[in-house]
Amino acid sequence: MPPKRKNDAIIQAEDVGMEVDATLDSGSEDEARRRSKNRRAKAQRKTKQVSDDEDDEEDEDEAPRKRGRRKRTKPQDSDQDDEEDKRRVRQKGAKAPRRKAANEERDEESEEDQGKRKKGGRAPSKQEKEDQNKEKKGNVKGKDETNKGSEKDKKKKNGKQSSSPASSSEDESEDESDEESMSEGEIAALKEQVEEKKKLIATLRNKPWRMKRRLVLLKEAQEFVEKFEGALGKGRGKKLYAFKVMMTKVLMGLPYGSIPRKTVPRSEQDTAMDFSVLFDFGVRILGYCKYSILFYGYYNNERNIGVLKFRLPLSYLLTGVGIFGYSLMVVIRTMARNANEGGDGGDEGEFTFSWKMFTSWDYLIGNPETADNKYASITTSFKESIVDEKENQKDENIHLQRFLRILANIMILCCLGGSGYLIYFVVKRSQDFAKMDPASLTWFQKNEVEFVMSLLGLVCPPLFETIAELEDYHPRIALKWQLGRIFALFLGNLYTFLFALFDEVNDKLETEQELKNATEWAIHEYNANYSSYYNTTDVPPLVVNPADAVRGPCWETAVGIEFVKLIVSDMQVTFLTILIGDFARAIIVRFLNYCWCWDLEAGFPSYAEFDISGNVLGLIFNQGMIWMGAFYAPGLVGLNVLRLLTSMYFQCWAVMACNVPHERVFKASRSNNFYMGLLLLVLFLSLLPVVYTIMTLPPSFDCGPFSGQDRMYDVVMETITQDLPAFIGTIFTYATNPGLIMPAVLLMVLAIYYLNTVSKGYQQANLDLKKKMKMARDEEKNRRNNKDSTNQVMKDLEDLLPNKSLIPPPTEEEPPHDIVIEKGGKYTKMKPGSAGKGVNLQKEVSLAATNPRGPVAHPPRARGGPPGHLRGPLPGPGRGRGRGAPPRT
Amino acid sequence: MGSRASRLLREEEIEEIKKETGFSHSQITRLYSRFTSLDKGENGTLSREDFQRIPELAINPLGDRIINAFFPEGEDQVNFRGFMRTLAHFRPIEDNEKNKNPSATEPLNSRTNKLLFAFRLYDLDRDDKISRDELLQVLRMMVGVNISDEQLGSIADRTIQEADTNGDSCISFNEFIKVLEKVDVEQKMSIRFLH
Repeated sequence: MPPKRKNDAIIQAEDVGMEVDATLDSGSEDEARRRSKNRRAKAQRKTKQVSDDEDDEEDEDEAPRKRGRRKRTKPQDSDQDDEEDKRRVRQKGAKAPRRKAANEERDEESEEDQGKRKKGGRAPSKQEKEDQNKEKKGNVKGKDETNKGSEKDKKKKNGKQSSSPASSSEDESEDESDEESMSEGEIAALKEQVEEKKKLIATLRNKPWRMKRRLVLLKEAQEFVEKFEGALGKGRGKKLYAFKVMMTKVLMGLPYGSIPRKTVPRSEQDTAMDFSVLFDFGVRILGYCKYSILFYGYYNNERNIGVLKFRLPLSYLLTGVGIFGYSLMVVIRTMARNANEGGDGGDEGEFTFSWKMFTSWDYLIGNPETADNKYASITTSFKESIVDEKENQKDENIHLQRFLRILANIMILCCLGGSGYLIYFVVKRSQDFAKMDPASLTWFQKNEVEFVMSLLGLVCPPLFETIAELEDYHPRIALKWQLGRIFALFLGNLYTFLFALFDEVNDKLETEQELKNATEWAIHEYNANYSSYYNTTDVPPLVVNPADAVRGPCWETAVGIEFVKLIVSDMQVTFLTILIGDFARAIIVRFLNYCWCWDLEAGFPSYAEFDISGNVLGLIFNQGMIWMGAFYAPGLVGLNVLRLLTSMYFQCWAVMACNVPHERVFKASRSNNFYMGLLLLVLFLSLLPVVYTIMTLPPSFDCGPFSGQDRMYDVVMETITQDLPAFIGTIFTYATNPGLIMPAVLLMVLAIYYLNTVSKGYQQANLDLKKKMKMARDEEKNRRNNKDSTNQVMKDLEDLLPNKSLIPPPTEEEPPHDIVIEKGGKYTKMKPGSAGKGVNLQKEVSLAATNPRGPVAHPPRARGGPPGHLRGPLPGPGRGRGRGAPPRT
Repeated sequence: MGSRASRLLREEEIEEIKKETGFSHSQITRLYSRFTSLDKGENGTLSREDFQRIPELAINPLGDRIINAFFPEGEDQVNFRGFMRTLAHFRPIEDNEKNKNPSATEPLNSRTNKLLFAFRLYDLDRDDKISRDELLQVLRMMVGVNISDEQLGSIADRTIQEADTNGDSCISFNEFIKVLEKVDVEQKMSIRFLH
């Protein structure tokens, strides 16, 4: 509303107070009455007005009583309504006739009732009168009141403001006079209003009002609720508020710049915002990042922070350890599930070709390109199966093969050792570089470690692949070897890197100790000097600007920085490889092909294949680095999420745009647990160094949540002794007693042994059963063949029958369940002799007469072969395999 | 569209189809609108060309055979009834259908009928056996020229050898069932028709 109102309402209200409020009220009422002289109040309005009256009078009472009243019926806003009305009337004369009438009447009444009302009692008769409309009105008024409240608050905040947007609504009320009365104990009332508003929002739909009005009211109510909930400490608003407090105060403790560990030192300040220093080649993380929440060093060692007594150090430790626990659980659970799923597939290999033949096409493929890929994939899968078959019957010079395999492994071990040494060497050298002046170093010298590691990761895998050719393994096995070796390379590199890092950490610990002693000595000197100089024991603490404080090297942050560097450089290498190795190559192959001497697409460079296994391995390795680094650089997790997201979309694009499907069909389902196993190993190996540092290395004295402790895990001990009831501490002491731990470990080992034995037993039983089933099947086959062929006469007769295809399946084809039933008995009985007999019979028959129902193109020789021949996974030579094709006519 | 479809489709016809195929009323009307949208000739029947316009069928190596499966022997057109009868093979098996009394006639979407449908795709000459030649044809369509004929032959031989239990060098329907015993045909050969 316009400033006018503000003038008369706010100013008076604020300056003059309650009594003036009343006078103001009456004055305005007069005015209103004057204006509305001619108007007649209708019945409905009358009731309304009555309530208005009461409210008005109430206003004159003391604030507390008013508040109490408000709780009951909340009509006191009506006086505010009135005032507002009158104001509005001033502006738009015809707007609120009803109100004016109401005012009029109220004035008359008010005098009579004043004494009664002053006692706070409400005239029952009046209430009765109101009863009919009251509920409705009450709501409306409640709304109004809240509006008013909101308005008032706004005023309080801004000093000046425009009226609520809903001035068009009849019942809207803005009472500035009320303002000051609500200033102090208002919160309870406000709460109530908020509740009302909420109720109103909930029930607004049922109100018999015009839509426009409803909308307006709804909007107001919502605004009000949103605005005040937070301040009043309720619902979402409060949570938000609390969250803010948490973020700023609780989690972070003191803000940036308050203490040395959160401040960039003076010597680095001038370069801290320099981008090249901030992210020199993306990996030189100095500057502000180093002193931000990204790294361990930022966190404070205050035991409890804020009102919530958030124990940052304890949470830090428990989170760090909890991540490992949770990851372990997830990985192992997944592995167990995979193992269960893979368990029932006992018949693999039994119907390999048939399944490939009948079920390999994906009938939902509608895109020609996808279809092409599917063709290729089916082809390779068939080829793979053929290779499998060949593999099975290959017997070559075993000694040569063994020699070659050993040779290959030696070579690969040499590569691994070499790469490990190279990394160790480089890390050592980088530590020397670190001691020199950074300005004198070249770019390469600064980034040598990451460069070398990435280079090794690029060069070694293809090298391994070349060496693996010597071994001549089956492709699937070869793939696993290859993956295992790459994995060993990565892990070896990582561990070498870690060991070199530990050297550095030890160096830092030494310098830190010196520094700590020097600092303590300096403070001691300062105290001594001060006390002797001023001759007082009350020495004020030494005040040093956080930026100038002497600080230790903070090895934890240094380790974190190394990991962040690794991740970032790894990401850069990934992107560069994709850009150059895939994209550039694809472009060259595609466009140079028009003017080249040989076919680039089919020939030498060709397009890059998408290396699923390599990428999965990269992910695993990356995860390992996160596991290791997350403790020292909590921000690493977020960084990695970003990295994974970007690289997912980038690689997706690369795959679609410039790659061709891998020639080897990769069966992820079968190798699932292989990868999970690798992941588990990585998890374990990355858990080791972290736990080692937590348990043995002393944390830095001036940075991180554990500063001041001897060991990081002391935080736990401290919590147990200080914050938990004593008996828990006692229990804990017992539980950590070696006398208890040793038997527990022993028990676990025994349990593992027992379970292992049991599972082996089951496995054996499973195998036996499978073997039995297989033999029973062969048996059945033989028996049928015999029957089939002995009943030659019957068959001839059948063939004579017309419309052969309509005959139900011949008698020899019994339903499958029969077979199952027969199997057991027959199998044991017939075992010794039947095989030989079957062979003879079969041979005789096939010699005697060709089965007239056999296909023309397929001579009998290609049939099941001598039935007695135990048909294992490898069939006899010369029977329908790649090398010995059956003679065709 | 749905209204048009149901206008053209008589209620009693829907009822009959419902009884025969087990589709719900809304499924039938929806499929009818699909049918009419496929029917470029607008004569109430579908020709082979109409089917070949569906990209999934055009690309499928067995597409022609699937299309053939829609047409009764020796006919060139399929009406809506026939269309629905074929599609009924792909209706998912619902739980309450599983434990019906076995004496009732088998519904079109039973496991056996699904398998029979698949079997007929491979059994070109409809002699209820898949012969080596038939397998070879399928193989050639599926892998094209990437594998030599000799290898294709040996694949076919190996397939028959795996599946054949009675030594006739062909795969009969019962042998086919046995081969696919472990395959989740009920799920694989089901299309989630909208309800």
